[in-house]
Amino acid sequence: MFNKILIANRGEIAVRIIRACREMGISTVAVYSEADKGALHAMLADEAVCIGPAVPSESYLNIENIISATVASGAEAIHPGFGFLSENARFAELCEKCSIKFIGPSSKVISAMGDKANARKTVKQAGVPVIPGSDESVIDEKRAQIIADEIGYPVIIKASAGGGGKGMRVVERKEDFEELFIIARTEAVNSFGNGSMYVEKYIEKAKHIEVQILADKAGNIVSLGERDCSIQRKHQKLIEEAPASSLTEEMRRKMGKAAVRAAKACGYTNAGTVEFLLPDSQTFYFMEMNTRLQVEHSVTEEVTGIDIVKEQIKVAAGQALDFSQEDVKINGHAIECRINAEDAENNFRPCSGKITEVFLPAGKGVRIEHCIFHDFKVLPFYDSMLLKLIVHDDTRMNAIRKMQSALGELIIDGITTTQDFLYDIVHEERFVSGNFDTGYLK
Amino acid sequence: MRDLFKKRPVTRIVSESIASPMENTAAPEVPEGLWKKCNYCRKPLFTDDVAENNFICPKCGGYFRLHARRRIAQMSDEFTEWDETMEFVNPLGKKDYESKHRTAQEKSKLNEAVVTGLARLEGEEYVLGVMDNRFMMASMGSIVGEKITRAVEEATKRKLPVVLFCCSGGARMQEGMISLMQMAKTSAALKRHSDAGLLYISVLTEPTTGGVTASFAMLGDIILAEPGALIGFAGPRVIEQTIGEKLPKGFQRSEFQLEHGFVDAIVERNDCRKTISLLLKLHKNGKGICAMHSREGEQAECRRMLEFAGKEEYTVYDKGFFEAREKEFSAWERVQISRRNTRPTALDYISLMFDSFFELHGDRGAADDGAVVGGLAFYRGRPVTVVAQQKGKNTAENIKRNFAMPSPEGYRKALRLMKQAEKFSRPVVCFVDTPGAFCGIEAEERGQGEAIARNLFEMSSLKTPVISFFIGEGGSGGALALAVSDRAVMLENACYSILSPEGYASILWKDTSKASAAAEEMKLTSYELKRLGVIDEIILESEPACKDNIDDIVSDMKAALDSFLSSVSEEGAEATAEKRYDRFRSF
Repeated sequence: MFNKILIANRGEIAVRIIRACREMGISTVAVYSEADKGALHAMLADEAVCIGPAVPSESYLNIENIISATVASGAEAIHPGFGFLSENARFAELCEKCSIKFIGPSSKVISAMGDKANARKTVKQAGVPVIPGSDESVIDEKRAQIIADEIGYPVIIKASAGGGGKGMRVVERKEDFEELFIIARTEAVNSFGNGSMYVEKYIEKAKHIEVQILADKAGNIVSLGERDCSIQRKHQKLIEEAPASSLTEEMRRKMGKAAVRAAKACGYTNAGTVEFLLPDSQTFYFMEMNTRLQVEHSVTEEVTGIDIVKEQIKVAAGQALDFSQEDVKINGHAIECRINAEDAENNFRPCSGKITEVFLPAGKGVRIEHCIFHDFKVLPFYDSMLLKLIVHDDTRMNAIRKMQSALGELIIDGITTTQDFLYDIVHEERFVSGNFDTGYLK
Repeated sequence: MRDLFKKRPVTRIVSESIASPMENTAAPEVPEGLWKKCNYCRKPLFTDDVAENNFICPKCGGYFRLHARRRIAQMSDEFTEWDETMEFVNPLGKKDYESKHRTAQEKSKLNEAVVTGLARLEGEEYVLGVMDNRFMMASMGSIVGEKITRAVEEATKRKLPVVLFCCSGGARMQEGMISLMQMAKTSAALKRHSDAGLLYISVLTEPTTGGVTASFAMLGDIILAEPGALIGFAGPRVIEQTIGEKLPKGFQRSEFQLEHGFVDAIVERNDCRKTISLLLKLHKNGKGICAMHSREGEQAECRRMLEFAGKEEYTVYDKGFFEAREKEFSAWERVQISRRNTRPTALDYISLMFDSFFELHGDRGAADDGAVVGGLAFYRGRPVTVVAQQKGKNTAENIKRNFAMPSPEGYRKALRLMKQAEKFSRPVVCFVDTPGAFCGIEAEERGQGEAIARNLFEMSSLKTPVISFFIGEGGSGGALALAVSDRAVMLENACYSILSPEGYASILWKDTSKASAAAEEMKLTSYELKRLGVIDEIILESEPACKDNIDDIVSDMKAALDSFLSSVSEEGAEATAEKRYDRFRSF
């Protein structure tokens, strides 16, 4: 096992990882930007190294400084958390070159699955259903038009190297295709320096359900069940639950197997998530694979009892999984709400400022992952997520009641958060009924 | 709060640590050569990133020194090296020199500090020499001098252009006076190359100093520099010690040299290949003026009033039309129109008339004057030299351009480029647009009068055709210094005068408010000047020139240029110069 791990992240996830390491008897090195000197992760870790100024490109994305800090502190591994460098194949590759264990899949897998068109092709060959669309990336608008016509409108144009909605266009009508394709491609070239695109059937309303997998270096891959992440705003998840109550047992089994096949097809190791779209209760399509730990991993932890972060560390250290697919049992229901420092009434504008008062709910089945405290300053440079409230109970209805109760108790004063907005949602009949899709907030 | 958190290590039972042994791994370390430090921003960088980025720091844009082989690969599609083996010489008989030399050879895998040979770049053949700083600071010993001299001599023999990428600490101390002689030897070879009418481009890279700067580096027909390179004769440390003062930031850098007139252009490394290729093409088949034939139909649309070869010609319109037009504005109104800041400036016309305009800076003496722009361009596929007085469009630009009032350096830059045009037999196209030569202390200190006079003197016998377009104000001697030309073409509302109407009124009547009356009697409009024979053609402005009708004006200017070039191509450069003499002799 590792003696020391460097956590290349900040906020609640850095705290989460530090706690797992401490429980495993592993020393921790936190990295922090100049603005994060007094941040919780920097205070909790055994050692803390400043890696640069507040702007992420100079600190949390500064590969050179992070690797220097790792070597200098004698850490043997880096946990990248999520966001920042977690899906940066080059960072993973450089870790490999410097004999630092990157806690995640190999750089090859990250880059293979990071290319959306390539990922699609890989899993399709493994027999995983994909959204009808182009098998190869296309650059030429005329060729793309032929593919789009075959799929049938509406279609969505996406950039192979894409992300963040850049180079993405929904085309409702055939006659608009060519123009929108050229616009999307120009945007892709400008944003990613790469004009290779792909075209898919556009699915307007669907359930977003994802399957958590864990894979060790010996080739054992298990599925830890699914999560329903359909409550989203502009592709940002707000509420996640496990299991997905709308799935039949048969669908659940099929999707779990598909996820494992997808992971096997790309030679996956460590924790990963296979995202699916479900336009109806009988159909699922592969959307993409996230080659990292996810924010909502904690709901899976609650219902399986498996600590995913600890498993990640063990796998990275070369240990085999000590449980098999049969050992994975889903118990009860878990829900997570993400509390962001955003103003829901003003188009979710990020808010920064000082937290003047904090009261955190507690009790059986209430779990909080956070990084805040009295007088904590929310900085404008970073992601606005402050706190994850996770509840676990025997049934979905009981879990919802617990969430309603806990959200009601939570106090974060001094800045505006999305707490009230979420408090409303968890009381809405539509949410409680479980009958919703990704269009919930539209 | 940090100190309040308790951090006692976990309690371990002995068997626990043995139960899960770590797989066999090496301790984390950064492998040798994985990264390097940028000399400018001091930040660590991954070596691969630096190489991928053409050895430019991805963080701060600072330039790493480029090894000779890499530079050659960048600058050529094919390369045949010359003088790969040269016998070591030790003129001073220094004991440790040979071993030092051998170590440098082993480390750099080069035989000496310069690599020379025949290169081909996008179809253009040229002689390329690249110095490599790793080899004893690229100092110039006899082998460096010999290789460069041989390369230049070979280029003269084969009638090829030469491009040298310079970087050097200067003369090689270990070779004493023999090293100093290399300066004279290389310069002499370049003189013969130049006398043969051939092109030499030097590219100055970090650092170019000492005896190299004081010889071949500064002798280019065109001198380019990489950004931020140290370029100087004496090293900054020596200067500081001598004068006992701290040197200002940026002293002797490329930008400093550009500002002081010694560098034609600063070229980013990523643009260097493209630039050299363009410059080679601009000097291809440089001999002889060939006829320009405008496309059919273009001539017919011309809104021009022509006169040459002694007869008056009107295109499209009859004489009455021009008479009516002349009365549309008074002379004073035309003066004011000529000064409007909505009027297109020289660079506007240049960008529309020519292709691939490449600006060349500096007078090679003191400064680069923003009031005069000059450079090379293609006109219908053949190279021309363009020289122009440039106004700004706003205050900031006008400060940079000094309101198009040239300093002596501006005239000297213009003359330098015209002499270069003569060497390479390129026609010269001038654009005149100035209130007058700059009246200032520094201008007088550096010889404003001498600079203008020199231009009149030299232009009169320039062995290449010269045409001047009057596009706005034509202020006195300051305008004439770009107008000793074979043909003068004037936009309808441009003016050209002995001095400003305000000045005229002040001198003759001691009253500047009588400027409008002065304008009427000075005969400064295009129509008056045409009658006086000072100009040859008028290009009509359907409305006072502005961005809306610039395309029409440019098409007429091109027609004027076409007819000029086709007429001079028949008579030859000597005859053109002779006729120019007669033209001004007649006044």
